[in-house]
Amino acid sequence: MGHCHTKVDQPSTDEVFSKLEIPSVLERAEELVRRYPVPRSALLPMLWLAQEVLGWLPQEAIRWAAGKCEVSPVHAYGVSMFYTMYKKEPTGRFFLQICQNVSCHVLGAEDIIAHAEKTLETTSHGGTTSDNLFTLLRVECLGACGNGPVMQVNDDFATDVVDGALAMPTGVSLTKERFDKIVAWCRQQAKSQQKEPVRDASGGAFRTGGHPGAKGANTAAQKPDYAPAPPVLGLSVQKTEDGKVKVTWRADAGVSALHLENRTNGTEFISLATLTGKDKEWVGELPAGTELRMVSESQGRRAKPSNIAKVEA
Amino acid sequence: MATLTVTQNFGKGACDLGVYRSLGGYASLGPRLFDLSQFELIDLVSRSGLRGRGGAGFPTGMKWSFVPRNSGKPVYLVVNADEGEPGTFKDHVLMLEDPHRLIEGMLICGWALGVRTAYIYVRGEFLPAIEALNRALKQAYDAGILGENIQGTGYSLDIYVHRGAGAYICGEETALINSLEGYKGQPRLKPPFPAVSGAWASPTCVNNVETLMALPWILENGPAAYQALGTPKSGGTKVFSVSGDVKRPGVYEVPMGTPLMELLESKDLCQGIVGELKGVIPGGSSSPVLLAEEARKANLDYEALAALKTMLGSGAVIAFNTTRNAVGMLASLTRFYAHESCGQCTPCREGTGYADRILKSVVAGKGRDGDLEHMLDLAANFSYTTICPLAIADAWPIENFIGKFRPEFEKAVSANPGHASPRMDDDFRPGAFW
Repeated sequence: MGHCHTKVDQPSTDEVFSKLEIPSVLERAEELVRRYPVPRSALLPMLWLAQEVLGWLPQEAIRWAAGKCEVSPVHAYGVSMFYTMYKKEPTGRFFLQICQNVSCHVLGAEDIIAHAEKTLETTSHGGTTSDNLFTLLRVECLGACGNGPVMQVNDDFATDVVDGALAMPTGVSLTKERFDKIVAWCRQQAKSQQKEPVRDASGGAFRTGGHPGAKGANTAAQKPDYAPAPPVLGLSVQKTEDGKVKVTWRADAGVSALHLENRTNGTEFISLATLTGKDKEWVGELPAGTELRMVSESQGRRAKPSNIAKVEA
Repeated sequence: MATLTVTQNFGKGACDLGVYRSLGGYASLGPRLFDLSQFELIDLVSRSGLRGRGGAGFPTGMKWSFVPRNSGKPVYLVVNADEGEPGTFKDHVLMLEDPHRLIEGMLICGWALGVRTAYIYVRGEFLPAIEALNRALKQAYDAGILGENIQGTGYSLDIYVHRGAGAYICGEETALINSLEGYKGQPRLKPPFPAVSGAWASPTCVNNVETLMALPWILENGPAAYQALGTPKSGGTKVFSVSGDVKRPGVYEVPMGTPLMELLESKDLCQGIVGELKGVIPGGSSSPVLLAEEARKANLDYEALAALKTMLGSGAVIAFNTTRNAVGMLASLTRFYAHESCGQCTPCREGTGYADRILKSVVAGKGRDGDLEHMLDLAANFSYTTICPLAIADAWPIENFIGKFRPEFEKAVSANPGHASPRMDDDFRPGAFW
């Protein structure tokens, strides 16, 4: 646990791959790879996925993730060892992490950790109880200091049990009594349920109808020099002395094209001229009553049209 | 009631798109945003005086202006939600309470920089916050706020959530980029800065959650109104996460320049100190500690705290009373930095661990004369010799805690009856640990 690694019996390749090489997992693995410009970058989510399926990360699972992300197994192993949340050994059914950092320390985290060690009869350095129900670990800041001292039970913050569920109400901190209450809740849960429900390690992106990215979206849509085309502003028309029409506007110089369009009698706009972002004005002859508008374009994307200006008589 | 620019939707169920819209959300997705050119928008953000809320306080508009145009590479936006600084929990609450405001802020930033794909890097422990974000993203996609051709403007943006896996150092922007790319989260040398060559060697803008969430308000009310909320040099409001010995710890948004004691004692905010105030850590665990009398003079803005030789940092205020032991507090901090040192630079890898082992022996009643000087010497030597500021973040608390609470540390050392004799065991010297 944490950065302290003990030797663990590793399951065989077949055992691990038979659980990971199934359609539902492979589908998600492909989706993860699509989210990044290169497959290598999906390594962290891929390790999360393997850990979600197996409950922890045996070495063969790291090898599997390496294969999916097209990196060497040793690279994936190094990455998995760097991050403390990848479990390199199995834990008990309820993984209790108690924060020992400064805010929680000030408010008495050490007392609660000592109490937890005594109650569960195990160490707070990753010890698992003999009934394999609890693993206790003291961790650094969990990012909920307003409720200090705080604890995480598996993936949920828990400082109390409210209406039969773990909760962290505002201003409620973990005390010895509340710790006992949470432990009792866990034991009750273990009796009434065969298995702990598995949480989607990607935060509901796949299972609970959450966000899988836009339909068909992937980073292949990413284009170099992608710039949204800002619309043309302040389009106006003046008559010059020789009776011609002078059109002026304000536009971003970075756009690749500016389309000047015209129409008469309220029909469809048709293209009149294609200009560049550097152009500042257009002069030409147009009958009175013609309506003009301008659309900027960048990277093949057209912005919304500008205001409509009318050539006066 | 002070003006709120980021936390106004707290407790109103704004996680839901309908509720967020009814509270005036996504109003900037119209002429207000899409009629602005990129340069006008960056200029607008510059004029608001908005500074990075993650800790460094770098002007946001200036940061954006460093992102090159037409470099031949895509531009990425990466949101830093790897909130790991002890004492900081504002982004956690912000994402749980108002995820749509973050999405709106990302759309604004994305429009300014020409971003097609953005990532939110959330620390691994915040699974409930990730779930809230993913639900919000799905609602936004279904409503056509994200994805291809947003509201017929021709602009497209995709947002993905990337879950970290428990490494404090990934809050440093180059380490975060390495982690996003599938490497160990070890910081990179700068330059090149991420704005020029960040994620996948492309221009990358890394912004904090709170920074982006301030943007919708700035667009709605104008940069001058935002600037006017704070002090002339530190514009706007700031979200503070207050923990420790206060009656009502939590997340509070106050204008820049508010006196520190007003935050701690006002009945609308923290409602006072439990016991008698001994000291305050004003900006996250790495900011130098303030004694009670210094805290009474302090104002919460970048310049006022810099004048007191400390910093606003991430806005994590940790107050502690006279019953708390400064030695134990520093021990919990040095242990943290030793644990979180990424192992890349020798002075930090060895130094933070060495300082931690010395202090551990002091706490265990095995302190020797000279241990305090030894720690100060170590701190001076591992500062400013590393790629990232983690070593400095360890050195500042060491120097300030020992400097300001010296009698307590000396008492802890002299609790060892043999404190005057030299230390014979050398099992905690550098290298011995490994």
